[in-house]
Amino acid sequence: MTEIAKANNTKISFPLIDRTEPNLLEETFNYSLPPLIRFDGPIVEYIDGKPVTFDPQTLKTRDLVITDTTFRDGQQSRPPYTIEQMVHIYDLLSKLGGPNGIIRQTEFFLYTKNDRETLDRCRALGHRYPECTGWIRANTMDDFRLVQEAGLAETGMLTSCSDYHIFNKLKFKSRKECMDRYCQVVDAAFEAGIRPRCHLEDVTRADIEGFVLPFVERLMRMSEQVPDHLSVKIRLCDTMGFGLSYPGVELPRSIPKLVYKLHREVGVPSERLEWHGHNDFHKVHINGATAWLYGCDALNTTLFGFGERTGNPPLEAAVFEYIALRGELSGIRTELITELADYMRSIGMPIPDNYPFVGRCFNTTSAGIHAGGLRQDERIYNIFDTTALLGRPPRVAITDKTGADGVTLWVNEFFGLKGADRISKIKVHKLARWVMDQYEVHGRLTAISDQELEAKTRELLPELWAKFRG
Amino acid sequence: MATIEERVKAVTARVLRLNPDDIKPEHHFARDLGAESIQSVELVANFEEEFGIEMDEDAALSVSTVGEAVKFIAEVCKQQGVSA
Repeated sequence: MTEIAKANNTKISFPLIDRTEPNLLEETFNYSLPPLIRFDGPIVEYIDGKPVTFDPQTLKTRDLVITDTTFRDGQQSRPPYTIEQMVHIYDLLSKLGGPNGIIRQTEFFLYTKNDRETLDRCRALGHRYPECTGWIRANTMDDFRLVQEAGLAETGMLTSCSDYHIFNKLKFKSRKECMDRYCQVVDAAFEAGIRPRCHLEDVTRADIEGFVLPFVERLMRMSEQVPDHLSVKIRLCDTMGFGLSYPGVELPRSIPKLVYKLHREVGVPSERLEWHGHNDFHKVHINGATAWLYGCDALNTTLFGFGERTGNPPLEAAVFEYIALRGELSGIRTELITELADYMRSIGMPIPDNYPFVGRCFNTTSAGIHAGGLRQDERIYNIFDTTALLGRPPRVAITDKTGADGVTLWVNEFFGLKGADRISKIKVHKLARWVMDQYEVHGRLTAISDQELEAKTRELLPELWAKFRG
Repeated sequence: MATIEERVKAVTARVLRLNPDDIKPEHHFARDLGAESIQSVELVANFEEEFGIEMDEDAALSVSTVGEAVKFIAEVCKQQGVSA
């Protein structure tokens, strides 16, 4: 047995705490909100061999925000949106984020006439949030003219920081040449009166001690020479999705250590730190939330995670994470998430049926035993009050696994029956039998649609139909 | 006039497609007579129709043998003033 295993060998006894009433742990699972994320102590991470403490309670007081890149990174994964589509999405994002600007900023390309017209029309809506920012490659100083002409106060710019990019892509002869060039561009932004947001591309594959920290340190020194509203923001770009949330991981992949180094050792304020992830290893959302946890205030996202290759942190997931961390809606109108999903489908963006929060089946159960649970108390198999927060009551999909419980739940939902009005499965046995025969007698292999069930309900349960639909 | 037991056996035989003469009071609906989940619901629904009564769903579905069903239905008929 290792020393660590010996130290952890702390077996103790746990007597049953008997109860006759359920303990539903409602301080966490209160159902009117997503389950709350509650911490019962500080977080400790070993950095450079020393324990460093992080206080998760600061999540409740820091100005955590969601930023959006649906129109920039999101658009790199699909054919261009039309101007009308982007203006409508922007309008819905504003309503979703609410008056406190939880969705604080969104960024726009500025290169084409359509890009600029889109920006103008979004701003013409008069919404305070999301604030409109730019995104430029900053290869030439002309790019700043675009930002200036657009009247934007802030723009993102590429400052790629791994040697893959510095040497192999951008062909700099040395790191110093690269850093000097980046700092020239930042100076140009200052001179143009534009706040630069430096996108540290490929940071999770970069030499942190050798390039990233010296570069950001220099940016912070440069920021001391300009007014606060121009001071550099830092976006940590996990370009290839290599970032890891686990404690104990080494740099450059450790998100806790990256945020710590930049925030506490280099002195970048939390409100000027942003995380931008990619989903190449299915870690995109938790990586973003981890950045929030360790001191990065802004989480960059796209609607439904649409973005370059495997996509970005899903905006709607960040919304629910935010609510779960803060324990309140903070003015967020979650029902807009459903409206946004419906709109995205209507313009040809596919959303998988099992996609969380908005997929057609995200809260649909097809197992009879689960449907039975739902019938008794929807909290048993529904993640939160999806009817109130998303306008999506829990549903059952009717298949051979559904059973009479599921058919009964479907009928009650179909007629909108509540409380004592809800009918028992005894009353729907003919419909349940028809469903079973579809599979057992006729060998059906597909789920039964709502339309089919509606027609059969009318035929087989005429009394109920006459009572509730007649 | 048929007794409650005879009527229960007749309904059970019809729903489960069995010979009424093969059904005994001690028979367990699921274990001995092969009633599946949906057939249990159909049995309760058909008993309600046969006797003109309304049964509590959970209580009715917890009845496990033919003999218990006869007693249960007799009690419900009595409570609901239905002559059986």
